[in-house]
Amino acid sequence: MSLKYGVLGLLKGEPLHGYEVKNRFEAMLGGTWEVNIGQIYTTLQRLERDGFVRPLGPRGDRGKLQYELSPNGQKALDQWLAEPDSGPQQLHEDIYVKLLLATRIANGDLHGLLARQKRAYLQRLRDLNRLEERARRDGRVDLARLVRGALLHTEADLKWMDELSSERFGEEGAKTE
Amino acid sequence: MDGRTFFRAFRGGGGKNGMNSVGPNVAALARTELVRLTDVTKVYQGGITGALNGVSATIEKGEFTAIMGPSGSGKSTMLNLVAGLDRPTSGSVSVGGTDLGKLGEAGLARFRRDHIGFVFQFFYLLPNLTALENVLIPAQLKGSSATERASELLDQLGIKDVGDRYPARLSGGQQQRVAIARALINNPTLLLADEPTGALDTHTGEQVMELLGQLHRDGQTILLVTHDAKLATRNAARVLSVMDGKIVDDARLESPERAPSEVIRVRGEEASR
Repeated sequence: MSLKYGVLGLLKGEPLHGYEVKNRFEAMLGGTWEVNIGQIYTTLQRLERDGFVRPLGPRGDRGKLQYELSPNGQKALDQWLAEPDSGPQQLHEDIYVKLLLATRIANGDLHGLLARQKRAYLQRLRDLNRLEERARRDGRVDLARLVRGALLHTEADLKWMDELSSERFGEEGAKTE
Repeated sequence: MDGRTFFRAFRGGGGKNGMNSVGPNVAALARTELVRLTDVTKVYQGGITGALNGVSATIEKGEFTAIMGPSGSGKSTMLNLVAGLDRPTSGSVSVGGTDLGKLGEAGLARFRRDHIGFVFQFFYLLPNLTALENVLIPAQLKGSSATERASELLDQLGIKDVGDRYPARLSGGQQQRVAIARALINNPTLLLADEPTGALDTHTGEQVMELLGQLHRDGQTILLVTHDAKLATRNAARVLSVMDGKIVDDARLESPERAPSEVIRVRGEEASR
């Protein structure tokens, strides 16, 4: 998701100025997405250029300038909310590229690599569990849901490492050279 | 307000209260070895499934340790050896300083009764006894009446209202709680759990794991065999990975207080146009 729709969604509630958008956005995401105020202003300017938001009141003191959602912005937001996430799966783990390279390098220590990665995922599960526990205790059910998703993803990563650990590497490497 | 400040705000605590006081003060407990496996092998006739091939490990008092690994890797075998339910082919197992190999069958039975609580995947309650009567079995084997403690345990585990019901009239989660109460009735030195959430739905499994976590915070040493890494890492700060009859990793996990952004980062594509 881009910041753009987050900003549109927040402005649907009421007109806000830049700092309010930043604070509410970060609060909504429970601290899992930090943005700098420059990004917020850039996003607001682009949304204004595209006719999705418009400033309320006179320009001048930029920090205090409030924006509201325009009818076009409302339409764009509704459309985005109704669309499923699609497109290619975003994998951004270095571990796969490391594995590819390690299979081609003598002494690549594949199993050591997998074991260390597995351990890192276990630690991540531990951290996520503690975060979920805290979120629930603090009544942040929304954040707990996000953590739950992250737990399931990390579990999948861990299973992947387990599968790889039980494989024999090396034989297939030459064919792809 | 950055993410960290926000997090402090929404969890409603300053520096003093909040997370620091939660959980056992493990550092304050003396590190006492409770279980020691030395070069343990276990060979099964007619197959290698579940065999152990040279396992050495120690477990300290007060630890919550998870044993993980694929089916047939030997993790349940490890648990059964520690429980004194089975004997190693070679090597030694000692619990609380007692070498289990030196005990005869009667001695081993006494050891299990006095020191081991065992929780199974499929509960194994006796169908013709009520929940309360099931809980009391190990105490009766010991020759002690523990009705009061049994009632306390049922209360503590949130099932005091179903004490007079037969297992067939209990849900899976309730049956597992009864089984946990039964495992605890003799105040075991060591609580062993073999896939205790394996037959339960997600939510009930979480509740049972939360119960084990509470017991651990109250000082119970727990050794857990599980497939579920998500659940295991709720409580276990140590994960032994078993594969092909060997311990391939001994991961000690940290439990620092981390800000949400240090644990999860929701990524956005920046608007580029």
